[in-house]
Amino acid sequence: MLALNTLKLDQWKRLCPRLTCRLSPFTRSGGACSVVSSGNSRRARCEAEDGVSTQIAGLEAKSCICHLCGAHLNRLHSCLHCVFFGCFSKKHIHEHAKSKRHNLAIDLLYGGIYCFVCQDYIYDKDMEQIAKEEQRKAWKLQGIGEKYSMWEPTKRELELLRHNPKRRKITANCTIGLRGLINLGNTCFMNCIVQALTHTPLLRDFFLSDRHKCEMQSNSCLVCEMSQLFQEFYSGHRSPHIPFRLLHLVWTHARHLAGYEQQDAHEFLIAALDVLHRHCKDDNGKKANNPNHCSCIIDQIFTGGLQSDVTCQVCHGVSTTIDPFWDISLDLPGSSTPFWPLSPGSDGSVVNGDGHPSGATTLTDCLRRFTRPEHLGSSAKIKCSGCHSYQESTKQLTMKRLPIVACFHLKRFEHSAKLRRKITTYVSFPLELDMTPFMASSKESRMNGQYLQPVDSLNNDNKYSLFAVVNHQGTLESGHYTTFIRQHKDQWFKCDDAIITKASIKDVLDSEGYLLFYHKQFLEYE
Amino acid sequence: MRAAINQKLIEMGERERLKELLRAKLIECGWRDQLKALCKEVIKEKGIENVTVEDLVAGVTPKGRALVPDSVKKELLQRIRAFLSQHST
Repeated sequence: MLALNTLKLDQWKRLCPRLTCRLSPFTRSGGACSVVSSGNSRRARCEAEDGVSTQIAGLEAKSCICHLCGAHLNRLHSCLHCVFFGCFSKKHIHEHAKSKRHNLAIDLLYGGIYCFVCQDYIYDKDMEQIAKEEQRKAWKLQGIGEKYSMWEPTKRELELLRHNPKRRKITANCTIGLRGLINLGNTCFMNCIVQALTHTPLLRDFFLSDRHKCEMQSNSCLVCEMSQLFQEFYSGHRSPHIPFRLLHLVWTHARHLAGYEQQDAHEFLIAALDVLHRHCKDDNGKKANNPNHCSCIIDQIFTGGLQSDVTCQVCHGVSTTIDPFWDISLDLPGSSTPFWPLSPGSDGSVVNGDGHPSGATTLTDCLRRFTRPEHLGSSAKIKCSGCHSYQESTKQLTMKRLPIVACFHLKRFEHSAKLRRKITTYVSFPLELDMTPFMASSKESRMNGQYLQPVDSLNNDNKYSLFAVVNHQGTLESGHYTTFIRQHKDQWFKCDDAIITKASIKDVLDSEGYLLFYHKQFLEYE
Repeated sequence: MRAAINQKLIEMGERERLKELLRAKLIECGWRDQLKALCKEVIKEKGIENVTVEDLVAGVTPKGRALVPDSVKKELLQRIRAFLSQHST
């Protein structure tokens, strides 16, 4: 027997605003009624079996059909006065409504309520609430989890919108958010990072919706300055911005970057993220100082987890640690550390990872190298807790948890004891990147660095899109930083201090690449 | 035969998965945005006070059906075929 759903009876009488339609009182007791559940057609809720989806699926397959023609499509509706399913397209539900004078029916696909007197769908706030709740429960039952629901303004927000009628329309080609930055004396290392950050979608949304509530007493909150910066960038002003306040704050909080010498953009990125993270409040109202329990915006966007597995070669016991990271620094071929482990007896020539003659090194090659198991050698024995002694072991790094924004740092600047130089080897990087082969969970599926599983087109968790590229031109002693940023899909711009020019995708992909910023393609709710 | 196939799809939960796949593909290829634009046209024509859901359905369905890319249709059909061959009785 189908369970009864409690509907608000007195609401029914006020449901049709256009005509005063008399609804026959909906009987609360006795009779059965189909349960509201918009968004899917799993309607029948068995009182006997609770929450068993296969039971429900079976019931739905057999009973969710039109009582007149047996069709399961054609916009099936359920009468709200009695147990009757009828299709809308063939007017079977209409026939039922007319002959029985049952004037209300519910669309089993979307939960909309149709009034046959008004001849249109009608909207009742309470019914919509119930429908939303049921839908959420149904999705949970099916294992789909939370789904995106559109923003709807509250009363207060509607008021604000009415009082502030000025609107800025974002079109497909608009240049909002693009603004040059004046170089204040070798500050291109800072400018290039600012361009990347102001075009990080989630960060932009956070600051433009005014989410930072400052608790710092002084004027030296970097997060507040960031917020100001976003306001400047999205103001629509086209003249270049002069970031003197930002520079001053950076000098104050990151002493090692002070001075008018050229600094490393990557160092600036890490320092900036660190200061922002320290100045943020996390959700619990505490200062965001603990890297493991922080939920500030910086951590939410940039922090990933790097898993390190050390395997004892004797007992094969694995010791695992997970460390947070903001970026992945990748060694390049041509540096003093060999790019690929040399096979025994080889002449030391560098071969591309999958045995092909070396073409251009790719970002994927670098990632493969980063996540390959590495023999630590007899001079670096690790104390094994299984063997209770020092043993030789292998170490492997993989991604345990990917950040929303993944930043790859190509280690082009070599500062070893012998030499200081820049490695200009071209590394090709893709517009879209699938991080699945480098995940901790994919370790078993890998052999010799090759990922063996076929790409699962339904699993979108690990897919990333390129949105910013920082490049360095010149030498270690004197160089210049520029950034390519993605304004819209397939529309890129080059930011060279105060000068912003349109760039082609080819320009971006042909560039040398120093810092590569990738954004998750699909965002899920927890 | 259609009904039997459909029944099997629902019972194994495959119909829901297919719906999710279709939904994602149609958003990705921009079809949903195109339909949104079509709906706006119908609303402009009829006037926001008078337009009914039926007006929208009638006005948008034929064009909407035609706008679905062949690649999406192909992919869905492949999925269904694969499912049926796996679960044929």
